Order: sequence, then structure tokens, then C-alpha cells
Amino acid sequence: MSKKKVVTSGGVEVREKPLGLRIWNNRGYYIMFLPVLIFLLIMHYWPMLGVRYAFYDYKPVGPKTFVGLAHFTKMFSTQAFWTAFWNTLELSIANLLLTNISAVVVSIFLNEMKNLFAKKTLQTVIYLPHFMSWAVVASIFSLFLSPSSTGMVNGILRDWGILKEADKNIYFLASTAWWRPIYWFIQVWKETGWGTIIYLATLSGINPELYEAADIDGATRMQKIRFVTLPALSNTIITVLILNLAKVMNLFESVFVLYNNAVFEVSDVIATYIYRQTFAIALPNYGYSTAVGLFRSLVGCVLVLACNHVSKKVRGRGIV
Amino acid sequence: MKKKALSLLLASTMVVSLAACGGGGDSASSSSNNNSSTTDTPSNTTDAPAANTDAPADNTAASGEKQDYHEVLKDGLTIVVNGTLTASVDNGQADFEKQWEDAVGIDLTIQQLDHSGYTDAVGRLFASQDYPDAMIMSAEMFKQYAPTGLLWDMADAYANAEFQSRVTLPSINENLKDSEGHLYGFAPTYGNGCVTYVKKAWLDAVGINIDDVKTYDDYYNMLKAFHDGDPDGNGVDGDTYGVVAAGFIGTEAPWINYLPEFWQGAFPSLYQTADGTWVDGFQEQATKDALLRMQQAYNDGAIDPESLTASTKIAREKWFSNDQKGSSGVFTYWAGTWYRTLTDNLIKNEVNEELVQLPPIKEIQDTFGGYLNREAPVWVIIDQGDPVHNQAVFDALLDTMLDGGTVQTLWVYGAEDVHWSTKAEEFTTNAGTDKEKAYSYADGEFHLKPSPNDPNTVWKKNHLDPALTIAQLTNGFTDNDELAAAGNKFFTENCVDAPASPVSETFTNESGTIFDAKMACITEVVTKNGNVDEAMQTYIDTVGTIIDQCLAELNQ
Repeated sequence: MSKKKVVTSGGVEVREKPLGLRIWNNRGYYIMFLPVLIFLLIMHYWPMLGVRYAFYDYKPVGPKTFVGLAHFTKMFSTQAFWTAFWNTLELSIANLLLTNISAVVVSIFLNEMKNLFAKKTLQTVIYLPHFMSWAVVASIFSLFLSPSSTGMVNGILRDWGILKEADKNIYFLASTAWWRPIYWFIQVWKETGWGTIIYLATLSGINPELYEAADIDGATRMQKIRFVTLPALSNTIITVLILNLAKVMNLFESVFVLYNNAVFEVSDVIATYIYRQTFAIALPNYGYSTAVGLFRSLVGCVLVLACNHVSKKVRGRGIV
Repeated sequence: MKKKALSLLLASTMVVSLAACGGGGDSASSSSNNNSSTTDTPSNTTDAPAANTDAPADNTAASGEKQDYHEVLKDGLTIVVNGTLTASVDNGQADFEKQWEDAVGIDLTIQQLDHSGYTDAVGRLFASQDYPDAMIMSAEMFKQYAPTGLLWDMADAYANAEFQSRVTLPSINENLKDSEGHLYGFAPTYGNGCVTYVKKAWLDAVGINIDDVKTYDDYYNMLKAFHDGDPDGNGVDGDTYGVVAAGFIGTEAPWINYLPEFWQGAFPSLYQTADGTWVDGFQEQATKDALLRMQQAYNDGAIDPESLTASTKIAREKWFSNDQKGSSGVFTYWAGTWYRTLTDNLIKNEVNEELVQLPPIKEIQDTFGGYLNREAPVWVIIDQGDPVHNQAVFDALLDTMLDGGTVQTLWVYGAEDVHWSTKAEEFTTNAGTDKEKAYSYADGEFHLKPSPNDPNTVWKKNHLDPALTIAQLTNGFTDNDELAAAGNKFFTENCVDAPASPVSETFTNESGTIFDAKMACITEVVTKNGNVDEAMQTYIDTVGTIIDQCLAELNQ
């Protein structure tokens, strides 16, 4: 039986050492890796065994009964599930596009600012919302948008004559027409500043000679943005979009704190649907929740692979 | 080929790992959200109870195997409670526990779970096979868990309990028995319910006498007057509302208790008619009529629009807030002790504190829409598969809970010299402010002390409301709060029993979906001026099949 051969850095072909010997020779590295391996096994791989409950009736009390694909059949025939599924995609993808577009625009504005003090101050101000918890953000906007006589936005609309005396106050967060625009506005307000960090880093790395060359060619400021800045940013924009596209199914907290049952048809997402199916009833069937979660993960995985494929086409290399 | 196989393997792992993050799993633990007050005794909560075997054990009623509980419960007793044990960890729980152990003679371990997430936390506790000896369950939880075989049938233990001779309201627990006489839960109190409170100053401001509010029209005109006029006296008409509520429908049984005047004879859930047939009250004409009443009130500003999304906390705080702009004149909330608590909060916020309780209007008297006495929360014993052990838990925990003396006092008022005392004492609340109040008690005089975690508030009660217990204290200890007493008297004179909750497997599995469909219908009609028949048809199209299945199970 012929042993596998390897070529050394010096170009000499030698027989590969047995695995055990290689491990022994590198035992220091393996010992250093051991805690990480144990952590991964316990914290990441052991819980994966719970996925089997997607095929069981699993309630807090009583035996776990194998039900095959029954939970998936129920899921696919439930209108509320499909509403949540499409809402997840629509809300997330729009989020992604809006926050990235606004981050790019703000980054370019910041990059163009000459007054360093004003630039740093503005940067700090727009970063701050990112550090506020979603619960606090939801409370603040609920107060601003309240339909009662204390609501600030309704008060302004009334003062400006946009709302007439006979008109009722608008209940923004309970209106199917208003909920999504408000949600996206809050998302952009909260996350744009944070999103600018990576773009500003890229902008600072653009070779100044490109701008000097453009100046010599007589380019205007807008032309320099269009023909120098944006092309330099394009690779980063694509990378950020691709990386974030893989996370679109994870939408939960921001929706959970802002939605209510009057707007489920436009706001309920898969994670909030799972939450209600699991925690809002006295004797939940964890099997069904796990099945919905598994489907969500499957879609997330497909998106990751699709992004990887797109990344290879666009950038010449994958992301996983 | 190898690369493709490897990619496939990695992809599968990724799917499974992502799913594991969202799955319920069995890794849940109670340790993160309990406030366990440990004793030296190891907890005996690890053994799976009888119900977790393939077939529920039929060890009905302990079979008379009564032994001294001190011998049986040498390892102590573990209980799981919600926020109704007001002697919480930061409010003298250690003293309560110590005095209970001294009185009963066994070790006690209390796991107090988050009140608002109690149902969920209990589910996770059970899923991780972490069972206490006994625990509190709401009526709705109890109905779901009773048929599972997890709970011990305490019918015989209850019948032979020491406290039986002093029980004044035997019907409370008799009504908890199922058709075969099994009693899986014990209610030491009756359920209590909500009554409608009206701000007296607002009534005076709009010139309405509460005695003249006798019909729905009178009630509605009062709400309109509160909205159209200037009852808060800030010089602006129309910036106040008639009534505020935590939702147009409650999130748990009895559903309609926060807006009874609007629901009137409707009961928007499954209920049993006089002839014993289960029906869906949500699809009945009475519900449609109620929704149209709320629609009109919403349009007229008689109902605070934020009632749609308000939690009980938000509704309460809006009602007694310091700035009465945007507040409401009417609030239907819990009777008895809450009469005192609402008044105290109005005082604290420097708002005129005088409240009047509205007697039931003509349309709701003796109907589902009356002041409903909800089904009582219960104590349950987890069946450990050993009747002797289960009986001992009953004797140590539940029989002593209503002993009329030392132990009952602990459950009613808390720990001696921590929450209450009979020693001579003087103390002042809110000292140095215009709300300062001095208290002075002679030696031997029973009185409540300042709350351990808030010296400016006088302690009110512990787990059992003295006015609601089914067997009274025999030691004469009583808190003479006139408002709480008046509130309890008013409620008992005007309440009707809430319909029993349904017990059906389909209803258990689908209650979340059904509730969502109801909410969609209610919001469509009330807040969007939708057509009530069309909205109801959407409800039927969405969950009609599920409801039919529930009714078939209930009526078989």
C-alpha cells in the first residue's frame, strides 16, 4: 500500500507522516485549540440536536410523539405563516437597501466636509442612536407618534393645518398604511450612522492622486464623487449588501417592540410569529415552533449560498 | 466531487446550527430568571413526576395514605410562584420563608418567576424536567394542564383538610372539580374581578351625578362629556377622553372585564350555554353589536385611541398621571385593594384622588358583561408518583395555608415585625412633604408596617387577599383600610361569575391563532370603521375550521 507523498518547502518529495504523529508533533497548537473545540461542541453543536423536535409533538408536559412532517404541512397551509414569511423578506430587504443607501450618501457628505470639528461632531451625533436599545427607541417614537392629544407629531400636523379640526389624529403605529414607512424611517435614523463607519474607512483609503488627477482634468465636485468616490466604494457596498443579505431572516427585536395586532398583516415576521406560537399560549407545542425555525434557517442558508455565488461572480471570490 | 460533498455537509451544518438558535429545545433553565431563595436542603425537583411516563398515573386522591409530613418531606418543599407573592426577594421574602419554616417545621425553597412571563417560564421549567412540589397557576393555565396527568388529584385531601370546618365559600373549589370529581387545583381565594372607577372631580366638572348614570346611554353621555368638555380644567376642550383600557379585549379570560359596558351581553370566546352546549360567542350577534358600540366610541373620542395597544401598566399610568391632559375619566380595573392603590397613585401624582365606583348599568346587570368574578388562580401539586408524598405536600403547604392562625397570617399579611406587627409603633410616610402622614399604634394593636422596599408606602398584603380568602383568619388580625373594604363589598354585591374556560386539545394548540384572528376582526371594525359582517366573515374564513373542531371536541 503506497503512502501519500507531500512536497516540502525545499521541493523534496517525502512520504506524509501518519496523522497521529503529526498531531503529536503539533500538540502545542492542538492543546491551545482544545478549549475552543470544547466550547464549539457544547455551545453550538450539542444544541443542534434539538432540531429533531421539528418532527415531534413536544409540549412542556407529556411524552414526545413523532409526527413526521405534520408540523411542516400545518405551517405551509397556515396563512399567518406565509404573511410572516413575505413580510420578513420585504421588511428586511427594504431595510438593507435603505440603510445602505443612506449610509453611503451620509458618508460621502461627511467625506466632503472640510471643517474637521463639524465633521467629528456630526459623526458622533449620528452614531448615538445605534447605541440606544430598541425598547427605548420604541418608547420614544410611541410617545412622539401617539394618537392621543399628547402626541407630538399629531399636534404639529394639527398646528400646521394638515389635520383639520374634524379629522381624527393619525394612529401611525396602528395603521397598515403608515406602519412600514415609520418602521423604515426609524431603522434609517437608528442605523445609518453606524453603517457609515465602514464606508468612511474605505473613503479614507482612496488614493488622493485620483482626486488630484480629476482636478487637473477639470472635474467638478459632483463629477469627482461620481467618477472617483462611488467606483471606489462599489466593492465595499456590494460586500456589505451580500453579507447582510444572509441575515435578512433574523429580523425580530425591532419589529417586536414596534408592532401590534392591528398591523400584523404588514409587520408580523417569522421570528415574531414563532414567538407568539411559543410564548403566548399556555401549553405550547415546541415542535411546531422548531419546525418554523428550521424552515427559516433553511431559507437563510439558501440566501447565504446565493450570496456566495453572487460574490464569486461579482468579486471573483466567495465569502464562505 | 469531494468539494461538493464537503460543501453540502457544511451547508447542512449551517442550516442546523441556525435552526438550533431559534428552536425551543430542551436547554431552557429556570435558573436565569428565578429568584430562588435557597435553604440548606437540596431541592427535590429533579425527579420526573408520574405524568412524564407514558401513561398518567392514576393515583387518585392519595388513597388515604396520610403520614406525618415532617417525616415525608425531610428534604423540604419547593414551590414556584408568580408575582402574587408580594413578599418578593427585595420585599422581605427571606423573613417570610424563615417564619414559615419555623411554623411548619420543614424547609421551604421558593422560586419566584417573572410575573408577566410566568406562563412561558413555567413551560420552560417543565420542558427541562425541572418540577417543583407545588406551584401557582392562573385559571387558564390550570385548564390546559389539568388533563395532562401532571397534576395530582387532591379531591380526597381537600375533602379531609383541617380547614374544611371554616370554609365559607365551598363552591369555589367544588366548581374546580371535573365531571369525574377530580380536583387538580386548590383555590384559597375567589377570583376577584374589575369594577368601573370614575374620577369624582371630572364628574363635578361636567355636571354629572354618578347616581344618574344608570343605562348605557347615560354612561356613553358621560364619556362624551369627558371628551368634549374640559374636565381636567386646563382650559382646553377635547384633549381628554372618556375611558381608557388595556385593549378592547383582554389577553386572558374573562376577556371583557376592562370594557364591560361596551361588551354588555357578549362573551367573545368559547362558552357553555345554559343547556350545556359549547358555542363560539365571538360569532354571535351580541359581539357584533359590542364591536359597533366600540366603533362609535372610538370615532367619538369616548375611548382613548391608545386603548388599542396599551398594556395594563400604560393604561393605569395614563389614567393617574400627573398631567391629566390625554387622560380619561373612567377606568375599569381590579376591585378591592386596587381601589386603595389607584387612590394612592392619584395622591402621589397630585391629582384629585376622590373616586366613585359605578354601579353596573342596566344593560350589564346579571349578564356576561357584568362585573365578572373571574375563575380563581389555583395552587397545584405536581404528581411525584407517590401518593404519600403528594398528600404530605398538601398537608404542609395547602392545609396550613388556611389554618386560621400563624401560617395563614404569613400568607395573608407576610412576616411578623417585617410586614406587620402588634407591637407599639409610630412611623411617618412621606416625611417632610405635603403628603406626610403619621401612624401610631398601641401595644397589641395589629397593624401593617411600611413596605420593606418603600418606607413611604404602607404594606398592603402578601399572597392572599384577606377579603377574598375562602376561610377567614381566626386570630382577629384585620387591616381596616376602608377603601379596600368598600371596594370588596361593592364588588361582591355586584359581580357575576365568569363563564368557565374551555378544555380542548385543539383550543390549547390553536389559542394563539384564534386570538390573532379575533384581534384582526376587532381592529378592522373598531379602528378602521370596517363592516362588521365582512370582518366577522374574515374571522370565520381564517379560523372557522379550527373553531368547529374545538366545539366538536367540547360537545362530544
